[in-house]
Amino acid sequence: MVIEKDLPVPRATESGLDRDERERIATARRYRVGSFLVAVAIFVLWELLPRSGLVPEIILPPISSIAYALYTLVQTDFFLDHFLVTLNEIVWGFVIGTVIGLAVGIVLGVWGGAKKLFYPFVVAFQAVPKIVLAPLLISWFGYGQMSKVSMAVVISFFPVLINTMVGLENVPRDMVRLMQSLRASRRQIFTKVELPAAAPLMFAGVKTALTFAVIGAIVGEFVGAAEGLGFLLYTYNFQLRIDRVFSVIIILSLIGGILYFFVEWVDKKLIYWRQD
Amino acid sequence: MILQLRDISKTYRTRTPQGNVEALTSVDLEIQEGEVVSFVGPSGCGKSTLLNMVAGLLRPTTGHIVFDGEPMTEPSRRIGFMFQQPVLLPWRSVRKNVLLPSEVFGSKSDEMNQRAEEVLQLVGLGDFLGALPQHLSGGMQQRVALARVLVYEPRMLLMDEPFGALDEFTRETMNLELLRLTKPTGITVLFVTHNILEAVFLADRVVVMSPRPGRVAGIVDVPFGEERAIEIMRNPGFTDLVFRVRSLLGDTPGDDSMTSDLDSDRESVRW
Ligand SMILES: Nc1ncnc2c1ncn2[C@@H]1O[C@H](COP(=O)(O)OP(=O)(O)O)[C@@H](O)[C@H]1O
Ligand SMILES: [Mg+2]
Repeated sequence: MVIEKDLPVPRATESGLDRDERERIATARRYRVGSFLVAVAIFVLWELLPRSGLVPEIILPPISSIAYALYTLVQTDFFLDHFLVTLNEIVWGFVIGTVIGLAVGIVLGVWGGAKKLFYPFVVAFQAVPKIVLAPLLISWFGYGQMSKVSMAVVISFFPVLINTMVGLENVPRDMVRLMQSLRASRRQIFTKVELPAAAPLMFAGVKTALTFAVIGAIVGEFVGAAEGLGFLLYTYNFQLRIDRVFSVIIILSLIGGILYFFVEWVDKKLIYWRQD
Repeated sequence: MILQLRDISKTYRTRTPQGNVEALTSVDLEIQEGEVVSFVGPSGCGKSTLLNMVAGLLRPTTGHIVFDGEPMTEPSRRIGFMFQQPVLLPWRSVRKNVLLPSEVFGSKSDEMNQRAEEVLQLVGLGDFLGALPQHLSGGMQQRVALARVLVYEPRMLLMDEPFGALDEFTRETMNLELLRLTKPTGITVLFVTHNILEAVFLADRVVVMSPRPGRVAGIVDVPFGEERAIEIMRNPGFTDLVFRVRSLLGDTPGDDSMTSDLDSDRESVRW
């Protein structure tokens, strides 16, 4: 897809900002300052509540000790290995899940016969709380990364599949009729209209898949693993090293967040015509 | 004669409690090359159905459609279709929307690119080649749609209430533009509208249709020449024609009232 740059976007005012605009910016800034103050308040409470003994440190360690635990954790010689294992599981689970979701979604969305035939099974599978498959996947694929990747695949392909199918089914009818009036081939209708028209919804599914892949990999590690951040978290929890547990949670959130922003960025580039 | 409709009827088979819908019955019509024919009738009388059949997007239940001497069975690239909505592809720039037909035809070339730009200049969008449709007003979007169909020079243009979603002033401008752009090319135009003034202003003939099941209630010839300006609406002859059309429509409104378009109308038309 080619993105045409330098679009002439109509502007209310050519030079400077009008009063409404200035007020809007001022309000936005006030809220940003507000959010920052709330964050500071939370951190202060987080520090003081455990220190004062109102909350036992075993339940909630002070934020400074969590920060220190995080600092020592990333310096251990085993941290990077666990980190890479989990990252690997997430990325592969996400990629494979997305590809399967897109492929199956396209087949079901474009070919009515396939949908009639397979949709009941899709619905049935949707009803399964996918987490319950984790023990089964471990007995099938073993203790290693394969079972975690497959767990991530199993729960992440679904939103992609559904969104792809729904997106393809809701292509504006007139767009298709336009193509028919030009005597476009089935393939032209698909590539020039249906696929791009469904892309925004497809990509929304891909974003969900990413979040789900993180969950899948971690759950897989919880259920049975000898490596990975989920394994680490589980072990620290068992050892009652709660500050380290929080450190791992922070790392996992960072992974999720960074991956999400990456996909969000790709989304903005790819679906450049999306209107908020 | 470019188009011949012989005893056309259309019945939609539905599974709703109403059963089958008889949308059109026994429509007979002949259209000459280069004519502009407008179709008016109450909502639901089968105007869109008729146009879709002429476009080859829908099969008549009975009867034959002959286009340029050949029976019409599937869409033809010598026929252009314009919808009430612009139906632009939002991910394509204005230029690329206009290039869509040539891409589909497989005739993509520098020449087509050039031609697309010329047509866009012609409809007044020369400065918006790279813009995305969402940054254009409704009237400008409909101009792009017009450019997209004019670019491949069809012999017949089918328009289904193309300016129905535009405000009155924009609609007027678009009417003038349409005449200015199509008259010199000798293209045949079938124009569906529920606005009687628009129907008379644009057409060489106005086909008035009766409520469901749609039939041709009457045909009004419009004897004005090719050079038309808004001022002809002041012409007493114009007002007469509007009344003729109106009386053919009778006092049986369709699904929604036909009169609203007239009641809210401009001062220049006196009753
Ligand atoms: N696909 C369809 N299935 C069933 N009934 C239809 C269908 N399309 C149109 N109709 C019915 O046929 C009649 C004529 O419709 P249409 O051609 O859209 O009228 P108009 O364009 O004049 O408003 C209407 O009563 C409409 O409800
Ligand atoms: Mg209609």
